[in-house]
Amino acid sequence: MKSAPERVLPETMTLRDPTIRLTVNGETHALRLPGATPLLAVLRNDLGLNGPKFGCGIGECGSCTVLVDGVAARACVLHIADVDGRDIRTLEGLGTPEALHPVQAAFVETAGAQCGYCLNGMIMTTAALLDANPDPSEEQIREALRFNLCRCGTHVEILAAVRLAAERLAAQRLAAGRSAAQRPAAPGRRR
Amino acid sequence: MLQPQGLSRTDYLTRPGSLAVVRPQAGAGPDVAAADPETLEPFVLVEASGAVTAFNGHVDLGTGIRTALAQIVAEELDVGFGRVSMVLGDTAVTPDQGPTIASETIQITAPALRRAAAQARQFLVARAAAKLGVPAQDLVVEDGVIGRRMAAAGGSGETVADAPPSGDNRFVTYGELLADDCIRLALADDVAVKPVSEHRIVGRSQPRVDLPSKATGGLVYVHDMRVPGMLHGRVVRPPYAGVDVGDFVGTSLLNVDESSIAHIPGIVAVVTLGDFIGVVAEREENAEAALRALRVAWKPTPKLPDLDDLAGALSKNPSTPRVLLDTGDVDAALAGAVKRMPRQYVWPYQMHGSIGPSCAVADYSGGRVRAWSGTQNPVPLRADLAKLLDLPQDAVEIVRLEAAGCYGRNCADDVTADAALLSRAVGRPVRVQLTRDQEHAWEPKGAAQLMTVDGGLDASGGVAAYDFQTRYPSNASTTLALLLTGKVAAGPVVLQMGDRTAIGPYDFDHKRIVCHDMPPIVRAAWLRGVSALPNTFAHECYIDELAAEAGVDPIAYRLRYLKESRARDLVQKLAERAQWEPHVGPRLREDSEGVMRGRGFAYALYVHSKFPGYGAAWSAWVADVAVNKHTGEVALTKITVGQDSGLMINPDGVRHQIQGNVIQSTSRVLKEEVTFSDIAVASREWGAYPILSFPELPPIDVMMVPRPDDEPLGVGESASVPSAAAIANAIYDATGVRFRELPLTPERVLAGLRAAGVSPQASAAALALPACASSGKPSRLKTVVMPLVAAALGAVGSLGVMTLPWRGAIAPIPRPDPAVFSAATIERGRVLAHLGACFVCHTAEGGAPLAGGLKIETPFGVITATNITPDVETGIGAWSYPAFERAMREGLHRDGRHLYPAFPYTSYAKTSDADLQALYGFLMSVPAVRSVTPAPDFKFPFNQRPLMALWNTMFHRAAPFVADPARSALWNRGAYLVEGLGHCSACHTPRNAMGAEEKGALHLSGGIAEGWEAPALTRASRAPVPWDETAFYDYLRTGWSRHHGAVAGPMAPVVAELKALPDDDIRAMAHYLASYGDAPKSAAEIQALAAAREAATAVRKSTPVSVPGSRMFDGACAMCHEPGRGPALYGTKPSLALVTAVQSATPDTVVRVILEGIHPPGLGTLGAMPSFADHLSDWQIAEIARYVRGRFAPERAAWPDLDAAVARLRAHAGAR
Repeated sequence: MKSAPERVLPETMTLRDPTIRLTVNGETHALRLPGATPLLAVLRNDLGLNGPKFGCGIGECGSCTVLVDGVAARACVLHIADVDGRDIRTLEGLGTPEALHPVQAAFVETAGAQCGYCLNGMIMTTAALLDANPDPSEEQIREALRFNLCRCGTHVEILAAVRLAAERLAAQRLAAGRSAAQRPAAPGRRR
Repeated sequence: MLQPQGLSRTDYLTRPGSLAVVRPQAGAGPDVAAADPETLEPFVLVEASGAVTAFNGHVDLGTGIRTALAQIVAEELDVGFGRVSMVLGDTAVTPDQGPTIASETIQITAPALRRAAAQARQFLVARAAAKLGVPAQDLVVEDGVIGRRMAAAGGSGETVADAPPSGDNRFVTYGELLADDCIRLALADDVAVKPVSEHRIVGRSQPRVDLPSKATGGLVYVHDMRVPGMLHGRVVRPPYAGVDVGDFVGTSLLNVDESSIAHIPGIVAVVTLGDFIGVVAEREENAEAALRALRVAWKPTPKLPDLDDLAGALSKNPSTPRVLLDTGDVDAALAGAVKRMPRQYVWPYQMHGSIGPSCAVADYSGGRVRAWSGTQNPVPLRADLAKLLDLPQDAVEIVRLEAAGCYGRNCADDVTADAALLSRAVGRPVRVQLTRDQEHAWEPKGAAQLMTVDGGLDASGGVAAYDFQTRYPSNASTTLALLLTGKVAAGPVVLQMGDRTAIGPYDFDHKRIVCHDMPPIVRAAWLRGVSALPNTFAHECYIDELAAEAGVDPIAYRLRYLKESRARDLVQKLAERAQWEPHVGPRLREDSEGVMRGRGFAYALYVHSKFPGYGAAWSAWVADVAVNKHTGEVALTKITVGQDSGLMINPDGVRHQIQGNVIQSTSRVLKEEVTFSDIAVASREWGAYPILSFPELPPIDVMMVPRPDDEPLGVGESASVPSAAAIANAIYDATGVRFRELPLTPERVLAGLRAAGVSPQASAAALALPACASSGKPSRLKTVVMPLVAAALGAVGSLGVMTLPWRGAIAPIPRPDPAVFSAATIERGRVLAHLGACFVCHTAEGGAPLAGGLKIETPFGVITATNITPDVETGIGAWSYPAFERAMREGLHRDGRHLYPAFPYTSYAKTSDADLQALYGFLMSVPAVRSVTPAPDFKFPFNQRPLMALWNTMFHRAAPFVADPARSALWNRGAYLVEGLGHCSACHTPRNAMGAEEKGALHLSGGIAEGWEAPALTRASRAPVPWDETAFYDYLRTGWSRHHGAVAGPMAPVVAELKALPDDDIRAMAHYLASYGDAPKSAAEIQALAAAREAATAVRKSTPVSVPGSRMFDGACAMCHEPGRGPALYGTKPSLALVTAVQSATPDTVVRVILEGIHPPGLGTLGAMPSFADHLSDWQIAEIARYVRGRFAPERAAWPDLDAAVARLRAHAGAR
């Protein structure tokens, strides 16, 4: 681990430890930290976010999942240099207890958690899945969650939550489509 | 926050406008009104505001008891559910009700809470009766509002709010009755509680109160606790990972080399106490880095017994027999049995496997410690911390926050003690989280267990006798810091816990049950179902064997001996639900694919706690399986589970517990087994300890027997207990083969089926596979090349250094003014600097750009890249352009010294004058940095620079690039870039004994870069799909090619540098490089080749080259390296079927990538691969590499000596 450089250099001057910028839940943060700092540590400790959890540190369990440019990513494996300039969304960026995102609401309603330590990963992976594939088959849902580990055995409720969330989002799109039939579609987050 | 923190009993019990029901602690007087509030344990607190707080000593482990307990309180108090909040497991406040174990919360601790709530209600109703002048029995309460009981028109409901306008409409609220009073009631034993018929909240499903906060990132978990001034700690554990008995525990540390972490910033302390080591840092990742980097010397660790032979290890472990039951005359009955059936059943060590490694925050100051903990056992933990820190118990406070699910005992207590020790050492709050490998290795395991049954049939087909013995090596797993610091001696402790459900449910005339109590072999404690799960595995498999032998249907046979009416009722109801077809013996139903189907039954009443204990919920399973006789894979096609839980407080909560138990126990039965090295736990991540994944989830049909009028029973574990036997019995029905040892992995099942002749024997080739791990000497470039070079240069040296030509210095100049170079020139030079990868070598880790300092390994020694900023004294500020050009073309320093060809002037020489001038202009324009470059650390004769003159004469042509008129402009441009500043050949061309690049056909045919293999770019490439122009372009432009994978090692920064080049130049380079290959194929042909290759290697063979490698690959690698599997993930998912490194003659690149991971700097869209060095042993990495090679390069020879290669490369990585 190395210390931060003492002065900020033009980006093209060096590949080592430039100032790194992350946009997290819509807010851009400039970070003067070594590029090899784990993204998860920065999200949790520098930005004070609780959603992404440390589970294994080697990308096996999924409890640290965040969205990078709308795609599920394992924050424990990524260094901040790996996501410099990217758009990152965490569980906190989906919704609040007062205004739950449809995926969060579905997990609450179906009790898609026992201890809930894996819940962040389940919700974020589901959000990414449904963004890319709004109407997944049962097999596709299970495959998307294959590498998100749950030890309490909440799989039945989690799958129900994903199905419920897909229904809700579809209904939401339908309603939005009706009310704004002629407006151009909002730009997607996926690249 | 789910519950308030940091409040004392006084805070709660002295509030004006409150009514508390309390229990005086032992020794306190009976007058609770006058007592010191700190001596009173509160159960229920009703406040004038309408809020109700209830207290329970048990904690919510994710089972939902926070919700269920609040339901009980709301029901008895007649308040809305939403008014009740629970405080669980806070030692400063909650009652001491022992550890949260044995499914006891609802069954054992909740009745007191229920009484307390009922008592509070009765008190308030009595007050209301006095105030309103109405008899108490005429009053009714709804949501804390008391009024006269009214008969609603046309209905039986009683309401307050909807009272008819006539009559007595007066009402009074709890709040009004309390006013400013502060009332305390001593909890009474004889309080009438509501009849079930009047329940409105209990018995109805209630959404979990904790989930909205958990689903939105609220502060719920101890992992999220942050305290002002908090530091981050990590512990360094001893090598005897997961072993806690023996005189070496706490006494094995030799020394700690603190200088080994001197380079890590923000280290606050290294704390050493006995074998306890902790590091504290300002930042978490630095504490983690210190944990990994700290060099610690330990005494040799004693070897464990052979745990590959669990039955042997358990039989040999010293034990004391304890007879639990001896009825009839077992010995005589056995002797008289017509059919004697001795059997042995083996249960493996298993893990709790909490998804989050344990975490705690402790704040030690002023002789007190407050610890935020995820413990299951707040009160015992408080005693442990007091002992550890030499504090009175009342100076220790445990504040319980939620944690990752734990199903018995994980490292939550350990890490709390660790945090307390570190906080005491540094005088600030410290947060400690264990690593994944530490949690896996050190969590107290669910113990292995050995059950032997002797018995058999009498002449009438009845059970002649049942002689059951069980061996269970476990203790309570003393909080680790107590052992590591030597506070508590790590002697053998024997707990009598092997007896859970040991008696078994069947009423045999001659029955003897013996539990062999024994100390642990490795660190073990209770895991969901404790010893009852293994004991039931034996009971329920054995009676199945008896039934088959007797020629009776397995359920009918059980019912002969099952007397308890609730048990019979459950068994019969479940058989009906599952449409059980009575049958005798195995049915061996097989389809044309070789898939055999069967179903099995098992039943258990989970009897737990100190013998003889008592029962929790009744449970029974019908399992349907499909067994593939060619692969040994067992799929559960359906599980029908029935449970009698008595009154269900929250039926949805009960259902979730049943399903959770079914899934978790299925995982344990099919997949789970802790593996050990000869000294420690070897399973340190999820690849080596896989658990059930979503695609494996069986359909589950839950049957909950309604028994609202019976007492509520614990539901946290019961449904796990019949699992193993039901599945094993189903496999027997399918195949006719009994499996008496778990887990039922494909290899175990296949071996069993083969041994029984059900499956065909393995082919000779498959049997020979394990022998592939043959030995052979690894070839190492360094060790082979170095002596040759030494000999060659030694011979040259004998000519005499002085005979070699001498080159003069070029006079220094004042630093050129950057203003003389146009912006366009400087910009062009900047791009060229990136093409030449000047930044890559001439910038140290974290150093100023181009100021040198990066150490570069070469076969001749370590050389440090020089400072090429325009600093006059230490850089190249005094270099005129002719001096610069001479260096670039001829490899000479301005002062005439020879430069070593680690500086690729042999390639740079080809650069055009115009480009060199632009590069010079750029270098003169960057900020000057003073930085002295150390001399190369070369040994004789390589340290003789003048010898380079001869070398240059032999190997260097300092001529600029000359275009080939026969080739296209694109090709020539590419050649200029690749062979000039791009200097691709410096790494990708083999070098001769003198360290010079080979020519001709060997050009670009593969070389070595910083110890990494730089693969061939020519026809010599081993790439499964040929490199073409598109692939080269994609790879150079993005660091990734669909058909070749991602950059690794020293190539990553090169590609990052190439970002500065325009597309046309990258295209030209790709075009030129592709000309070294065969005639180009069409995109469709390439696509087809890749698809065929992936299809050919996608086949999952029944007997992979390495079974453990295959399993670990699935858990650790498949997420990114199994095409078509898993979620879409940020970054790339390299297909190993197409990656060249897998095809290489050596495993080095594959092994290094596993050990070191890949973080291509500046190429963020590729994602990253973590280092597995800390989680996988040499053997495990070797097995994964063996599997990868066998699967993805099946035509190539196995890599020899993989274990040695991993050890060598790990040592190499550690030395850097």
